[in-house]
Amino acid sequence: MEQKWWLHVMVPLGAVVGALVLGSIFFLFTDRPPLSVYSKMFEAAFGSRDGITDTLATASPLILTGLAAAFAMRMGLYNIGGEGQLYAGAIASSGAALLWTDGMPTPPAMAVVFAAGAFGGMVWILVPALARAYLGTSEIITTLMFVLVADRLLDYLILGSSSYWKDPLSFGFPQGKVIPDAAQFPPWFDSRVTVALVVAVAMVLLLWFVWAHTSFGYGMKVVGDAPHAARYAGIPERRTVLVTLLISGSLAGMAGAAEIGARAFRLDPAGLRLSIGFTGIVIAALSRCNPFAVALVAILLGGLQNAGQSIQTASDIDVPKSVSLMLQGAILLFVLGGETFVRYRVVHGRSALRAAGAST
Amino acid sequence: MNANAWVITLGAAFAAGTPIVLAALGAILHERSGVLNLGVEGMMLVGAVSAFLAADAWGNVWLALGCGVLAGGALSMVHGALTITMRANQIVSGLALTLFGTGLVKYLGEPVSGVKIPARVVELDVPGLGDLPILGQVLFRRDVLVYATWVLVVLVSLYINHTRRGLALRAVGESPATADAQGISVTGVRYGHVLAGGLFAGAGGAYQALARAPSWNQEFTTDGIGWIALALVVFSSWRPGRALCGAVIFGFAIRSRFTFQAQEITVIPNVVLEMLPYLLTIAVLIVISTGSTRQRLGAPAALGRPYVREER
Repeated sequence: MEQKWWLHVMVPLGAVVGALVLGSIFFLFTDRPPLSVYSKMFEAAFGSRDGITDTLATASPLILTGLAAAFAMRMGLYNIGGEGQLYAGAIASSGAALLWTDGMPTPPAMAVVFAAGAFGGMVWILVPALARAYLGTSEIITTLMFVLVADRLLDYLILGSSSYWKDPLSFGFPQGKVIPDAAQFPPWFDSRVTVALVVAVAMVLLLWFVWAHTSFGYGMKVVGDAPHAARYAGIPERRTVLVTLLISGSLAGMAGAAEIGARAFRLDPAGLRLSIGFTGIVIAALSRCNPFAVALVAILLGGLQNAGQSIQTASDIDVPKSVSLMLQGAILLFVLGGETFVRYRVVHGRSALRAAGAST
Repeated sequence: MNANAWVITLGAAFAAGTPIVLAALGAILHERSGVLNLGVEGMMLVGAVSAFLAADAWGNVWLALGCGVLAGGALSMVHGALTITMRANQIVSGLALTLFGTGLVKYLGEPVSGVKIPARVVELDVPGLGDLPILGQVLFRRDVLVYATWVLVVLVSLYINHTRRGLALRAVGESPATADAQGISVTGVRYGHVLAGGLFAGAGGAYQALARAPSWNQEFTTDGIGWIALALVVFSSWRPGRALCGAVIFGFAIRSRFTFQAQEITVIPNVVLEMLPYLLTIAVLIVISTGSTRQRLGAPAALGRPYVREER
């Protein structure tokens, strides 16, 4: 349905305002002045050069998990397990970095980290993808279950065993082994931005290209929209489903690699649990699977997370960083609600009757 | 091997399974009406923090439980409004709710982090029965909410399978258009059962906060049991009775790692036991989607699809 252009702008804006008002209620509830909290958050996320670069750094893995979800969602598949594929990617990339990259020059070492991450994510979605493609098992629950399996595995590798990933010198407080210097992405321009952002943006362009200009992308569209037509046209439905899910999983795995190489430098179970994978699904939905919109939404949410992180350390207003997660959830809920006004036109009174008359 | 330790483990499995069963019962009612619920974890978390804060403020465990239940219900109504009235994507709405709940709980729970439980749910020693060998230990020395949950399982099962309203619920979940033609209000039934799902999830979260943990812990509030409950719903093919059996299996898998540790048994690594509930669920899902057994999957046919009257 054709809608007035301003609805597409006003609805997301209204959603953000609604979420901020809802957040204010909770701030007032705990005696914090909402306006000063918000102005500090905005300042922290977009108000300075450091703020902006930190936001971009935080957004990089979110772009990748957003693309992972969007790639599958574009053909009606729901990869809910991006979170688990991210963990698997982190496990694989940190393992590969520890095994092979010592003494390597930096560029190939970074390639090893990303390749291992993509491989880990792909392995983690393999069973759900095969089951979906060949048995028709709903991928929604299986991918979700693999998140929980990965979550347990993550704890086991660092806290529950003396695995290859664990630093043998950390007795009292178990920690992951630090990856070799070569595999740690060097920060650019005196900021936290690394090669991870470039990889994320490259993936945005790549996916756009696949969707818009390749026969595989076209096949995905047909299988997603009209499976019967796909069968008549000879598009291999099962293989398309399988490959789509595997690519989706490896994109989420690359987000895990980015977390290891750009930020954590070791397998750190607590530090990885930031719901980056789950947020990716919501990013994909909000951006209606458009890769460029994925990047934009990821940067906005990245700014919010980054703001939460920095205001926790700001001394004068003492706000826990969890506010950003809360606000993020609230914005998403409001945007979902607002979508209704974009999809359906609310008409009332005489014009409603006229509209009804015109359509019959 | 010490047999007594295993008896205690089995008993603990019942207790560990209780919040899972509560949330799963809610999710069964919720999903039988055709609305997917990925917000269970969020509703449980909010139920848990509300119950804990109420217990901290007033010191009354029943009041606290009530607050937890209501908070879960309130959150589920957001899901209902978004997915039923506004026809938003049920997966995305549920996940957004869980993200919101996780953040809200960390925000609200921060001041009471590490605080000891002010009011606990007391254990009930059923006179006479509690002294029975093995059975007494396993079944009859639990707190009153464990028994209440067993009763609820029976009631929910009867409700779904043997009442008029239960029939309407199943009709709405399987074929909303047919139910609508029969004069059943699809919207009404869905709202009612989404609310029930939230109330039950809130109860599960409250139980977890009040009876399972010694103090409020920001990081491991519900230990992801909202997700386990979702696994259980699928594992039990959306049937309350099977959910109870499944919860004992899941609870046993969760608890036996402690027994293995205490007994210094290393035959099965703990990590495998911890993963067992999820791996079992995946296996069940894959097995039931092969060939002839597919019919018995039991997933409501309209699950995940919004009902649009004009499009029927």
